[in-house]
Amino acid sequence: MALLAALVVYPLLYNVGLSLRNYRTGEFVGLHNFARALEDPQFFASLRATGVYVSAALATELTLGLALALLVHRTIHSGWARALVYVLFLIPMVTPPVAAGVIARLIYTPTYGILNVLLLRLGAISSDVLWLSEPATAMFAVLSVDVWQWMPFVFLVCFAGLQAVPADTVEAARVDGADGWRLFWHIEFPYLQSLLLLVLVFRFTDTFRVFDHVQVLTAGGPGATTEFLSLYLYRVAFKFFNLSYAAALSLFVLLVTSLAFAVLGRYLVREVSA
Amino acid sequence: MSRVGLWRMVTGAVLAVLTAVYLFPFYWMVVTALKPLPEFYRFPPTLLPLDATVAAFRSVMLQRGFLVLLRNSLAACLAAVGAALVVAMLIAYPVTRLPVSPAFRRGLLNWILSLRFLPPIVVVIPFFDIVRRLGLYDSLGALVLLYTVFSLPFATWMLRGFLLEVPMEIEEAALVDGATRWYAFFVVLLPQLAPALLATAVITFALAWSEFMFAFILTATPRSQTFPIGVASLVTQFEIIWNEMAAVGTIAAVVPILLLVFARRYVIGALTFGAVREKA
Repeated sequence: MALLAALVVYPLLYNVGLSLRNYRTGEFVGLHNFARALEDPQFFASLRATGVYVSAALATELTLGLALALLVHRTIHSGWARALVYVLFLIPMVTPPVAAGVIARLIYTPTYGILNVLLLRLGAISSDVLWLSEPATAMFAVLSVDVWQWMPFVFLVCFAGLQAVPADTVEAARVDGADGWRLFWHIEFPYLQSLLLLVLVFRFTDTFRVFDHVQVLTAGGPGATTEFLSLYLYRVAFKFFNLSYAAALSLFVLLVTSLAFAVLGRYLVREVSA
Repeated sequence: MSRVGLWRMVTGAVLAVLTAVYLFPFYWMVVTALKPLPEFYRFPPTLLPLDATVAAFRSVMLQRGFLVLLRNSLAACLAAVGAALVVAMLIAYPVTRLPVSPAFRRGLLNWILSLRFLPPIVVVIPFFDIVRRLGLYDSLGALVLLYTVFSLPFATWMLRGFLLEVPMEIEEAALVDGATRWYAFFVVLLPQLAPALLATAVITFALAWSEFMFAFILTATPRSQTFPIGVASLVTQFEIIWNEMAAVGTIAAVVPILLLVFARRYVIGALTFGAVREKA
């Protein structure tokens, strides 16, 4: 147990120590590394990119996941069909992000990528779109992988939540004349509220630290338009070998995740350990 | 046809199309892996391989050394699964079975859960330096250690959930009959937990199998690189051999998918820390 704590606490203390020094010379530099972050345009660019990524991914995944859960809940009633849909939609979720990167490469590649071929055929575009080398479409491409992989998680949680709504409550509401939308809003949504919050916590912390599929797909490019915090930290630490500065930045990342966990997670922990 | 029947049919069709579109990217990877390279460059692309072959699979495994990476991944994942099960049990058993203070129990469980939210990039920077100083850089040992620690939130919470479901009376009966705690644990409780342990092992394995960042930063040579690292190196090459890239992607994805199908019942509960129980 002590070893376990050491494995987590020690790196954090180590990060703090590292961030106060100059990694190369070992000299104590105080808060220099933190001051530097405040004047680092690339840091703020990565922060902004992460913000775009996190909010777009969360909004899309929550909306689509919830919509799909409702659709399946209202449409499919047989047990085996529900189980089948479950497993089919879980396939992207357990696919390693690196493999998801492979898939995205196959789809978005110019000339031979299936997406361009389809769009050309449909007449939606007249020449190849360079999906991964234009800022806006590259952001779209990395986002689409996240949505493909994790919308099923929202679906899964919401779907299970919908099944937990007592049938007689729903029946009573129907008898009282509640239609689809009102039934959802007044009867089902209250049951889903705490689950949606749980999903929000998980998805926020996961998208905030996104790394794997982006590294494979765009490696932060074009330029630095998809260089999210983790990728920027990786570059600072392992390309420029400025471990001290990276440690200072990493403490910032930790602070944000901890704050999110403290605000949202308090509720989550109560929910889960109840 | 009644209005309700028509509505059903329309939504059913929408759902079927949605599912097909959703799974198409995955299908496309598998199909590409089965095409000979010249067929990949055909225009328009073929939806089914005209001349399906496993040549790409054979080529990456035998000529590009992915067999070694596969072995590394399997070794690291299995070791991590074993270690994680033992450590998770050492935490989960006391907090569910022994008289510990509620504050301690909550504190411990919440702390373990908070590990789930720790961004890996924060941990990997100090670990890189520590591992290098210990001479463990580019070794599987460092990965096993990290995978063990980071699979504890899932493993511990899952085991705790399962332990709560096994009635305490069975063990108590054994204890009253004069059995030792060890006997009660190993002979009475453990067999009851077998499915739970299996499910936990499956999840832990799949998590370690998918891991990319730690291996990416802490390994450098095929001596200790894992399968996903090999996949990434093929994807980012200047000249991509498309069917081989798709082949390694397929292998990387198929392993956890098989495990998912195999342990579906447990996986679904576990992915949400048991906050949601599957009813299907």
